[in-house]
Formats: sequence, C-alpha cells, structure tokens
Amino acid sequence: MNVPVTPQVERTSHVLRLQEGGNMAEETKNKNPEIVGFACSFCTFKASEMAGSLRMKYPEGVKLIQVPCSSRVDPAFVIKAIFEGADGAFVAGCHPGDCHFIKGNYFTRRKIAALKEMFDAFSMKEKLKLFWVSAAEARRFVEKVTDMYNEIKERKNEREKA
Amino acid sequence: MKGKKLKPGHIENALNQFLKEEQHLVLGFQKGENGVSHQIFKGSIDHYSLLNPTFGANAALYLRRLFSKGSQVMLMLRPCEIRAYVELHKLTQIEREDIIAVSIDCPGTVSSKEKKDDVPTEVDQLTEYFKNPDSMRWACSVCSEKRGVLGDAGIRIDKAGNFWIIPYTEKGEPLLSLVEGEPEEVPAEMLMGETKKAEKFQVDMATFDKDFEKCIMCMNCRDMCPVCYCIDCVFHGDEYLPKGDALLNKIFRTGSTKMPQGKELFHLIRMYHVSQTCVGCGACEEACPQGIPLTKYFKGISERLQGMFAYMSGRSFDEPIPYITFLEDELKEAED
Repeated sequence: MNVPVTPQVERTSHVLRLQEGGNMAEETKNKNPEIVGFACSFCTFKASEMAGSLRMKYPEGVKLIQVPCSSRVDPAFVIKAIFEGADGAFVAGCHPGDCHFIKGNYFTRRKIAALKEMFDAFSMKEKLKLFWVSAAEARRFVEKVTDMYNEIKERKNEREKA
Repeated sequence: MKGKKLKPGHIENALNQFLKEEQHLVLGFQKGENGVSHQIFKGSIDHYSLLNPTFGANAALYLRRLFSKGSQVMLMLRPCEIRAYVELHKLTQIEREDIIAVSIDCPGTVSSKEKKDDVPTEVDQLTEYFKNPDSMRWACSVCSEKRGVLGDAGIRIDKAGNFWIIPYTEKGEPLLSLVEGEPEEVPAEMLMGETKKAEKFQVDMATFDKDFEKCIMCMNCRDMCPVCYCIDCVFHGDEYLPKGDALLNKIFRTGSTKMPQGKELFHLIRMYHVSQTCVGCGACEEACPQGIPLTKYFKGISERLQGMFAYMSGRSFDEPIPYITFLEDELKEAED
C-alpha cells in the first residue's frame, strides 16, 4: 500500500518547532489572509504570468490554481477552500463571449452567481468574488486581486480587534 | 376544463381495469394494518388508498434508473413526488415514455417518526384533520405546491369534498376513459388554492453550527434525497471527507480537528448541488436520526437560488435546469 511514512522524530520536532515559534508565526498568519483563486488557464492565469514578467507585485497570500476553463470550477471546490482555512476565494475567467471553449464562462457566471446568493444567505457574501480578466489585462488582475486582499485583510483585523 | 367526478370505488375499478394488462403496474398507497404505505401493485388493487397521511420516503427515489422496456407504470402519488420525478427525468434518470404520472391533491402529512394515534386513515377525514397547519410536519406546513396540477392527470378535491379526475395531457386521457360516468365541467375553485411565498431565507454560520451540532455524518439525508442522484458522489473517496490514513495525514498537516469533521463541507456542497432540483419534500429531515431541521436550510436555499432564474423545480418538463443553460445577457451584478 502506498502509505506515506513520516518518522516519529520528525513529527515531534515539527510540533516542537510550532510551539517554540508559535506566537510569531501565528501572528503573521492571522494578519495576512490567504485567498484561493481559481484562474482560467487561457485568460486569468496568462494575465498573472504577464504581471509576473512585468514585475508587478500582488499579495503573496493569493494562491492561484490553474483550471482549464473557469467552468471547470465546481462550487464544491470553492466551498472546500473556504471551510478548510482560506479567508476568501475567487473564480476568474475570460470576459463573457471570449471563452476559449465558446460558452464555458456563461455557465460559470450562472453557477458562481448562484453560489454567491447561497453565501449571501449564510451572511458571508464577502468571501467569494467573480472576476473577468483577459490575458492582456495584467494591471486589472493585480488591481482586482489586491483590492480583494486588502478588503478581506481589513475586515479580518477589525474582527480580531473586537 | 373537463373532468369526471369520482364516486367511492370508481378509482379502484379504473385501476383494476388498467392492471388487467400483464405489463402494467401501479405505484400508489395501500392501507395496511399498521397504517398506509407505498405499494407497487401488480395484477389487481386491494386496500387502495388515495392519500397517505404519513410521509415516510419520497417515492421518486424508487424510480431512479427506471428505463422500463415495454411496461407501463402509473404513478398515483403526491405532488412533491411527481415533481421529483419530473426533475429526475430532466436529469436523464427516468424515461418518460412508459410512465403515466397522476398527481393527487395533498392535504399534508405527518412525520413517520412521531407516533400519532389520532391520525385518521379515511380519505374524507384527512382533509378535515389537516385543516390545522400545526397538525402536519414542518415541511408540509410551509409547502406551497400541494395542488395536484402536475403530470399527465390530476386528482383534485373540490370545496364540497368531492374528488375529481382531470387529464392534463394525452397520456392522461385513457385513465379518464376507464373511470365510469360522463365528463363534466370541473369547478373553478378547489380546496387547495395557491399559497403565498415564504420570505427570503437568511441565517449565519453560527446558527448553522448550532443546528448541525448533533449531526453524526451518517449521510442518510443524501441517501434518501430523491434528486441527489449521482452514483459516484463527491463524498466517496478521500478528497472531501478523508478517513483513516488520509484523515491522520490531514490532521498532521492542519492541526487538531473536531470530529466528525467536514459537516459544513458536506451540507453546504449538497445544498448547492441540489439547489435547483430540490422539491422541498423534507425526505432528508424524515431520514435524519438526529432531528436536524434540514428542510429549513435546503428549502430556504433552493427557493432563493431558483428564484434567481425564475425557475421552479418540477414545474414543467420544458424548462431546462438553470445550470445547464444560459442567456448571453444576464447576471451583470454577479461580477466584481
């Protein structure tokens, strides 16, 4: 069977390390939110690569996941990301009408709009966003992502203070 | 609209004539010693009952993967069961050709979990008993579609308590011809009218956590849901709900976890997956051993999400399920 074997020693040391530096590590982790982004490989992911090559900076808490099309994103992925620790999630794809697969992002729009409505019913609307970013819009990508990051960070710090 | 007034014994005679053919079946209710239950009749009808005062399960569950070859099945069921059948047809789980669906006006039902001795089994007493919304289970008391106006034919109750059989499609006509009597004009007003819509569902995660505190993740709600039909559910395997080694590895990675873990994951993902097809029958709550108010969440969410696309689950065969279709110019407010 393919069971990953982790030596006992390493586990303990890992736990110890966490306890030693726990305070500092936790503080930075609390202040900096993590955002999971599902990016269409033909548009938004290309835009993020372009942002990289243009030396534009976007927050490092934003973790991008490349998907073949934004409609590949089952809302289950978004729900899983949020309930397993992410502070927010976004789904990003090509502008409506520009889909590489002709009509994929129209389905995305319906699915994510419905998911947003559901998040609204659970009073956590701010955790999910839907962006349209084409491959040429590196600046727009950085702006959108940074805005979302700052918004979530602000809300998180406020909650922490209260 | 033309229909026939049903006198006692008429419907039984008609169904018996229908069952004379070898390949014909009827799915309906039977009166037994310990109450009324679902029954598939073959050959002849005995102890037939039009209405069933206890909910039990949604009978559309038994129809999944029904591709009857040459046989004819007549469904004599509640509106919520016929609506689930319509949704399952749209999800290509049932072939419609060999099914005659007859929806029967439903005065309401009680939960099979509560042992209520005062519930009558006679059809005419039932409408009287369920006049009070508190006497039925919660899902039925908020049900907005108790009228038998779906499927190929309907059985309606008029204000005087008479039963009427009304065909809606060509497939319903033969059933009408089996019933004795001459077609008459049907009264315009029936006992069950249209009911008002409930207000928008709104909760927060704290309430959710409180309500689902008792959940033991037995997944009976998924198994008894008539429209939760995937053979290979996403919760099989270790991706969403890890077990054994996968679970321990995850805990080494992320830290202490309360067990059973993944309640929000399971219920929210399921809530989303059935959002457009949920008929609000309350079979999940009926199946829950812990008495969690599941209908409140599932019905509330599905009403909100169906409202976005002006869709109603099970209303018609011609409306496609919103997630598999689109309009080019819509939902501008959804993008950020």
